[in-house]
Amino acid sequence: MYGLEIKDLTVDLGAFKLERLNLNIKKGCITGLIGRNGAGKSTLIKTLTRQQDAQSGSILYNGLKFNGNEAQVMNSLSCVYDAPHFNMALKPKKILKYYCSVYEGFDTERYHKLMEKFRLPEDMRISKYSFGMQRKYCIILALCRKSELLILDEPTSGIDPFDRNEIVSLIQDYLMDENHTVLFSTHITEDLDKIADYVVMFEDGKITLDDDKVTLTERYRLVQCDNMTAEMQSGAIGIKKNMFGYTFLTQDKEIAGEGVKTKIPTLEEIFVHMLGNGGEGI
Amino acid sequence: MRILISYESGVPIYEQIKSELRGQIIRGDLPPNAVLPSIRTLARELKVGVITAKRAYDDLCAEGFLYTVQGKGVYVSKSAEVKAENYAVNEIRSKLKDLAAFAEKNSVEAKTVLELVKEIWKE
Repeated sequence: MYGLEIKDLTVDLGAFKLERLNLNIKKGCITGLIGRNGAGKSTLIKTLTRQQDAQSGSILYNGLKFNGNEAQVMNSLSCVYDAPHFNMALKPKKILKYYCSVYEGFDTERYHKLMEKFRLPEDMRISKYSFGMQRKYCIILALCRKSELLILDEPTSGIDPFDRNEIVSLIQDYLMDENHTVLFSTHITEDLDKIADYVVMFEDGKITLDDDKVTLTERYRLVQCDNMTAEMQSGAIGIKKNMFGYTFLTQDKEIAGEGVKTKIPTLEEIFVHMLGNGGEGI
Repeated sequence: MRILISYESGVPIYEQIKSELRGQIIRGDLPPNAVLPSIRTLARELKVGVITAKRAYDDLCAEGFLYTVQGKGVYVSKSAEVKAENYAVNEIRSKLKDLAAFAEKNSVEAKTVLELVKEIWKE
């Protein structure tokens, strides 16, 4: 079962394009979109949340088309954008009132609990909040809605490690209901890396990787070695050289020898070496 | 139930969860028919992915340490303790084989190795 089904989606922004994108986001799981700045993550998220029009293709939300089910889809869809999407001159009290009137089943009890937990003053204009506080506020609003899909654009950027940890827990709380789906974009912060089930990697508007994290990280080995043999070079991805030797990614799990160390890579290591392929390095 | 996970060890996370659970079964901390947390609770508590938690449980079920009752939960098997012990003995055997090969390569006699084992045991 899929929370989101994206088929042949084309979004043309002139200088940048998502072309015939096909992607299914599994229900009950956390999917992380990774990629560099400008790779297409935010464009996809804006298209999914109807902030950006698509030229062609289709998106299904829990099996539903947007056209004809607008209210139902929007009510089941919670989003956290890269910046607050409401009037920042307002105080939380006003925003809460607005949210309660617009979104069915908004959980005010939970809202107040979370506001207290993250020490966010309710009698202060959002514009006076620090950047981190604004992000936390947006996440709280999204989590207190009675939604089934949670989409976050770099949810933990600009948030200190302690609060980041709390936010990761909140996202996992949300996923205790197996009918819920989470999709977020990230520049890879380690904590998000840990909880993601599926990883989709973007490069220049195209999907270059789409797999579950367990399979993905196990398929590769990160190799550190003193000397590079021709045999090792043939399967090496994103070779990086430094004073002490070489580091690269490979699918060859049998690599071994004197001065060769291997380990299962982290997502970040896969990301860095995949993008480094053909670029810097040797 | 306590499970420690290391992201630096290079051992897959689900393998780490499996070996911690096996250890607790051998020590009797998880007796037969003990109820384990649900996949989603385990994932949340350990801050790992749902699929990682599921993989650990699925593997242990396939190996006979755990069993699932549809719609109810995951439990420790009746014969899990014996299985876990056998598993540990087999692991030690394979580790000792590596050790024996290393000793032979470096011309260290079996007698010396045995003495070392006794010495370490006393500590």
